[in-house]
Amino acid sequence: MERHDAEESRPLSEPVLLILMSLADRPRHGYALIKDIEALSNGRVRLATGTLYGALRRLLEELWIERFEQDDTSREKQAYHLTGEGRRQLQLEVDRMRQLTRAASARLRTSEV
Amino acid sequence: MNIAKAYQALLRLYPRDHRNLFSSEMLRIFERACEERSSRGRPPYVTFVLREFCGLALGAFAEWAGELSTDPSRRAHRLPGLHACAEAPSEITDAQRRIDFCISRMEQAIATHDFQGARFYSNEDLKARERLRQLRAKYGIAE
Repeated sequence: MERHDAEESRPLSEPVLLILMSLADRPRHGYALIKDIEALSNGRVRLATGTLYGALRRLLEELWIERFEQDDTSREKQAYHLTGEGRRQLQLEVDRMRQLTRAASARLRTSEV
Repeated sequence: MNIAKAYQALLRLYPRDHRNLFSSEMLRIFERACEERSSRGRPPYVTFVLREFCGLALGAFAEWAGELSTDPSRRAHRLPGLHACAEAPSEITDAQRRIDFCISRMEQAIATHDFQGARFYSNEDLKARERLRQLRAKYGIAE
């Protein structure tokens, strides 16, 4: 039980967070993920394929994303989409970050007075 | 040796299950990114290739570390491509382990009043049971 709580509250790594963010609005294949993550991070993060597929594999194992075959004419057939659990984990992380930024802002305001 | 061949050679550093599932996809993405980067001039292209190769070596190391320290059924349970090269009995063992995993996660979720999580693992448990039933039918194994 305690282990489960610890797992839930552990912050997500940046690649994992960015992948979940990228898949939040629609499914994407690997190359589209790399491009979208680059755009989401204002060009700061460009995932290498080794990093991307390591993270994708762990997300598949955790059931946070699913892999499926896309019926389109693009070069890449395999695409990924967020599961309900993945969306829930992303929401948890967003809430955690919101709480942190609120606390940081409050401290900064206090120190300015 | 061209750059794609070198990339393919480095992919051999990965554990076999990872290669079976992702290597062709990774190679396609690398080739596509190469096309794009090569149009930006030589220095950015060389930096990109070096980053990719380092990423592959580190990724392979991480996958081997995961492979050697994690229960193989847990690593494989949600990766359908792995089942294609698996023996029938291990497919059935994996399906059974998947059910155990879902039940354990469902119990944990209930204990922490995470009812959304419990519902999710309950649905996964039903899917896993259906998969096990199909596998038993396919291989003519009685329940």
